[in-house]
Amino acid sequence: MKMLGQILELASSNRVEIPLIEPLLGMLPPPLSELAALPLWKPLFAALVVPGFATLGLLLLLLPWIERKLCARIQWRVGPKEIVSWLGGIIQLLADSLRFLFQEVIVSRDSHRPYFTQFVLLSFIPALLPMLFVAAGTIIAIRTEYSVQIMLALVCLFPVFILGMGWSSGNRFAFVGTVREAFMYFAYEVPLILSVIAMLLVFGTGDPVAIGESGRLGIVLNPLAALVFFIATAMGTSRLPFEIPEADQELAFGPFIEYSGITFGLAYVLAYEKLYVLSALFTTLFLGGGSGPMIAPLGELSGALWFVLKVIVVMVVFAALRAIYPRFRLDQALKAGWSSILAISLLAIIISSVEVVMWA
Amino acid sequence: MVVEEAKDRNIRIVQHGVFAPLRRWGIRWSLWPVHFVTSCCGVELAHSGACGYDMERLGALNYGIARQSNFIIIEGTITRKMARALRLVYEQMPDPKFVSLIGACGERGGLFWNSYNITLPHEIVPVDFFIPGCPVTPEGLIRGIRAVQEKIEGRGRTTIEFKCAELPREGGEARLVPSSPKFLAETPTVRIDVPREGELPERLKPLAEEEGVRVTAIGKNRVAIRTPAERLEEIALRLKELGFDHVKSVNIVDVPHERRMLVEYVVSSYSVRELMPVLVSLFAYVPRVSPGLQSLKHVWESADYCERELQDLFGVRFEGNPWQRRFILAPEVEAPLRKDFRLEEESYVLGEAPLAPKIEYPPEPLSYYLPVPDEVFEEAAKNDEFVLPIGPHHTGSGHLRVILRVKGDVIVDAIPDPGYVHRSMEKLAETKLYVQNIPLFERLSIADPININLGYVRTLEFALGVEPPERAKLIRTMLAELSRIGAFLYDAGIFSLFTGHSTGFMYTFSMREMLLELFVRMTGSRCTPSYVIPGGVRWDVSDEALKLTKNFTSAILHRLSKFESIFVNNPVLMERVKGVGVLTKEQAINVGIVGPFLRASGVEYDIRIAEPYEAYTELEWDVPVADDGDCLARFLLRLEEVRQSLNIVRQAVEALERTSGAVIAAEVLGEFKDAPDIRGLFFRTLGDICLPRGEFTCLTEAARGTLLFSILSDGESNVPYRVRVVTPSWMNLHGFMEAVKGQRLADFWAIYGSFGYFPPEADR
Amino acid sequence: MGIKRLKMPEYSFGDKVKWHAAAVGTAFKEAFFPHTVTVHYPKERRKFPDNFRGYILFDIEKCINCWQCAFVCPANAIRMKEAPNKKYYPTIDYAKCIFCHFCVDSCVGGALRTTKIHDVAYADVNEMLAETEQLMEPPEIVREDRRYVEYVIEEDDVRLRRVKGQDYLLVEPPPRKEYSMVCVCDDPESCTGCGTCADVCEHYAISISIEGEYKVIRIDTARCTGCGLCVKECPLRVLRLVRREGEQ
Repeated sequence: MKMLGQILELASSNRVEIPLIEPLLGMLPPPLSELAALPLWKPLFAALVVPGFATLGLLLLLLPWIERKLCARIQWRVGPKEIVSWLGGIIQLLADSLRFLFQEVIVSRDSHRPYFTQFVLLSFIPALLPMLFVAAGTIIAIRTEYSVQIMLALVCLFPVFILGMGWSSGNRFAFVGTVREAFMYFAYEVPLILSVIAMLLVFGTGDPVAIGESGRLGIVLNPLAALVFFIATAMGTSRLPFEIPEADQELAFGPFIEYSGITFGLAYVLAYEKLYVLSALFTTLFLGGGSGPMIAPLGELSGALWFVLKVIVVMVVFAALRAIYPRFRLDQALKAGWSSILAISLLAIIISSVEVVMWA
Repeated sequence: MVVEEAKDRNIRIVQHGVFAPLRRWGIRWSLWPVHFVTSCCGVELAHSGACGYDMERLGALNYGIARQSNFIIIEGTITRKMARALRLVYEQMPDPKFVSLIGACGERGGLFWNSYNITLPHEIVPVDFFIPGCPVTPEGLIRGIRAVQEKIEGRGRTTIEFKCAELPREGGEARLVPSSPKFLAETPTVRIDVPREGELPERLKPLAEEEGVRVTAIGKNRVAIRTPAERLEEIALRLKELGFDHVKSVNIVDVPHERRMLVEYVVSSYSVRELMPVLVSLFAYVPRVSPGLQSLKHVWESADYCERELQDLFGVRFEGNPWQRRFILAPEVEAPLRKDFRLEEESYVLGEAPLAPKIEYPPEPLSYYLPVPDEVFEEAAKNDEFVLPIGPHHTGSGHLRVILRVKGDVIVDAIPDPGYVHRSMEKLAETKLYVQNIPLFERLSIADPININLGYVRTLEFALGVEPPERAKLIRTMLAELSRIGAFLYDAGIFSLFTGHSTGFMYTFSMREMLLELFVRMTGSRCTPSYVIPGGVRWDVSDEALKLTKNFTSAILHRLSKFESIFVNNPVLMERVKGVGVLTKEQAINVGIVGPFLRASGVEYDIRIAEPYEAYTELEWDVPVADDGDCLARFLLRLEEVRQSLNIVRQAVEALERTSGAVIAAEVLGEFKDAPDIRGLFFRTLGDICLPRGEFTCLTEAARGTLLFSILSDGESNVPYRVRVVTPSWMNLHGFMEAVKGQRLADFWAIYGSFGYFPPEADR
Repeated sequence: MGIKRLKMPEYSFGDKVKWHAAAVGTAFKEAFFPHTVTVHYPKERRKFPDNFRGYILFDIEKCINCWQCAFVCPANAIRMKEAPNKKYYPTIDYAKCIFCHFCVDSCVGGALRTTKIHDVAYADVNEMLAETEQLMEPPEIVREDRRYVEYVIEEDDVRLRRVKGQDYLLVEPPPRKEYSMVCVCDDPESCTGCGTCADVCEHYAISISIEGEYKVIRIDTARCTGCGLCVKECPLRVLRLVRREGEQ
């Protein structure tokens, strides 16, 4: 009982402030109101609601739909519709995921069974952990000086799990896809890190809240870094024109070729999760995080709202790439990664250094 | 082979358990078809998935990978080779899974019902719904998806209900059943070198004076050279020196009652301009028992794949050809094109014979087998290479298997394994009336139906000496060019898909949808018009259709420019295709590729110019030629051809607006010459045509290149004795394989797309 | 007619930027003002012209039992069925039919005609045979369409004209010229009187009578429909179809 009290006290000391629901909480008698406010404890709120699970889940259900609808529109057709005609088929992904959930899971005889099943689940570690360091406005689970760096480090763990999935599948196409994934990893990782470093130089901190509150737009400060980060994200999340490891016409989804049923469902959302993390990072570094006109009744949620909206826009831009570009070849992507993109990222560092020196 | 209970197993899975309603709802709206594009119907499947109908509206996302899909749409013919893949794919899919079967070929064989190479898919996998058509319309296909959705909900039923009328009752006497309309002479005289009007080319005159060699002019620009079998190679070498640098077709004719076979090489020239229209049939007789032949691969590299094919079809051996294994046939079919291999005969009375053909499946038919020897794998392992078999069911392979040997990312060797859509047209043509072969051959390539139609019909007209009237010629020219545009749009769509650009696919298919609207208005069918008939066309086109066609020539430009700005000019595409898969002029001639792909390598050869037909000489147009020989050149050249075709169509429409008159030759109509068109007279006038004795070879410039039809008639039967078809895709396969070598793995698909390789057309 | 040499494009850096911008610009434009051409089947239906080759209807009144539809069918989908009146009428196996409509074009009396029905799914392959009695009345299909769409190709682009209501699926056959034929015997001297023609004739127009020591065939021109079966079956090929007098 005492411990609960302590927890509640701790929770109320660090609460997400939302003026809109304050009076509602006030109407409840004291212990109940504090209990009800427990989910508003900032770390918990960040992990569970925004930018964590709830937002992620919603985006995962919506984003593929948005992508399909948007591409369909560009492609002169309609996209998912008949499932709820008047809403434009917005719950299409629900049907797809239900179908995946209830479908047989096949583990091929040639696969390395333990790894094949474990890697799909394990890959959620690098997918979900960064959520703790994403700041939606001022809402953040763990606030440190090094949040951006930690996110980057976790994101860079991703390919290891994809390699594991591909390797354990025991399929020729998965094998080729895995090797491609490994190559792509080399192609984008250095520029990605360099571009982040360039931004950290400018902001002087890796704390996303501080970056957001600084009120400076990264994309204006260092557009080259933004460009590199954008391209590296497209490479890292296998978006076209860099959809090289998965290349469904060539390798039939490469590393994920053997996955079926819910395991494929998980593998399918993995790329979107990575996209979400990287888009969040992009928003934080280049689009000013949760900055935006304050909506008073929402309080701290206002920043979160702006943040999520910006993330959605970034993700939609990535989604639209599918309708615009064909696919590069592996060697071309590698070449670009090691030559022009690397050069631009170095330039970005120089620009940042100059800016830092000038303002100092 | 299908256990009856398996048929409803999937439905039982769906109905089972606490979550059944949720499960049913989810599966119902998430039927992802694994696109089992086996044959023509695949074109209409593409249309259903493309912007014209967009089956993604119903949650049916076309998906290529067996593990993640739950719905097979079997598109058309399942050949013996493909049956193995079908079973394999079905087994690989997770439960619950559904199958819908589109197209007549799969149901009871359709046109190919008595073929030696087809199977009935519903005897291999459980099928939920059957959709009639040849090919089905996208509406039919989507109706099939709706039906499966309903079935998951528990209301699966046939979507058509017939009402029964009363048949007349008043009695009569039993009548004699008439005999078959076909007449096959039992021991006919089979001759290739029937002398006809025509001149020997100057260069061939010295050959004519040789001892033992008989040179005959068998028509304008057609020469037959008969030589003893042992001198075949020598004469071939001499012909090559004279400038005959490639083979258009290799042919074998089995003449059992003479106890011999006839082997024939049809050669022509790309390098000597005056020889371009000349076709020389170099032939020799060989004994029918244990026929061993000298391969001429070392003389004409382009003969290679044809020889490999004939080894399968006739059970012969070409000494010197390195490929001595099965090429296009499944292991269980032996020498089907020999005359003693009989097909099931037609029955014209209901109940006399079963409706479905009887198909004997081999005892172990569904074993997975690769036609390459084990040594390939061993050698690859030794050289640190990786063997990657692509196809026959692969998101980016169509229905061709290519066994790639890859070192790192570079393709060292590509071994083709065609024949997955081999519907045995050449054999079937020997059992059908001449007119019945029109729709048969049309199924070679329904992306380019009119040109194929025209190729066959022109051969008949050449043999019969019939000249179509002016208006018919114009209509045929116009439709042939529309069909060329259609084939380009199809290939360009596949090309964009293969490079990962789905928008390009959608854009081209929106244009194709417009084109099919024209086709359906003029011919009554979207993809299989069967509109060109000996002596003209089936009926006249309406003024309204002509106006739409004229509008089309300008309306398409609007959409084409969008396609160009998003796909053709896209810098990423340029990176991908420029300098990739280069075939030099020498290589191109050597492997005997045809059509726009040959012109992209710098050879100025177009049959519409070398040997003009229809109304082409009356119209203004250019033949585009490029020198680069890479994927980009092949693609852009065809794009330029589309502009030229639009030009031709516009001029043809203008000419048609001025002319009027008959659309069918009077000599075909005979005593019905006052008839406006063929309606009501089709069988009466064309049913019983019989060609004069001899071989008639006709070349047509189809969308993807030279289409050769060679009909051998015995002069007595009203069915052909032998029809040899060599399609552009078949000739391009060799070039395709050559172009792939030394390129990177991802380039395989770019090259595939740039060649517009269409397996049904290649495999025949 | 001439040769046109094509030059392959070379992209400079500026071109690349330009074409990247063009591609993105096109996508952006289409995202807001798309040129959608989708037909929302099954909610709406594409309007096909009246000459569309779909399911076939059979009019028994016009049939002269000439078998030509069965003979011309390239897929052997049409088989003749003996009716209670011992005449043969067509049945169509839609599991084989390729919708080439050679039968419709061959039909002498105009008994076969097209409809615009084509979107049908069968649950069982054995149901796909449509027997004569089923061909005589228009079948009913499942229809969910509430409007129809017409592709109107105009000079600048294609336009989808949507009209409320269901499109008609039954069409009137176009008017056609009738050719009334009659069978004649060219060479009665050669006739052996084997009687095949009389046996095969479904209208009992030919009879064999014995005159003296010869068998002589008699053709009842009033009964003859000009189906041509006797001509086809005559082993001596002495029969011929001619157009009825007063026609030519």
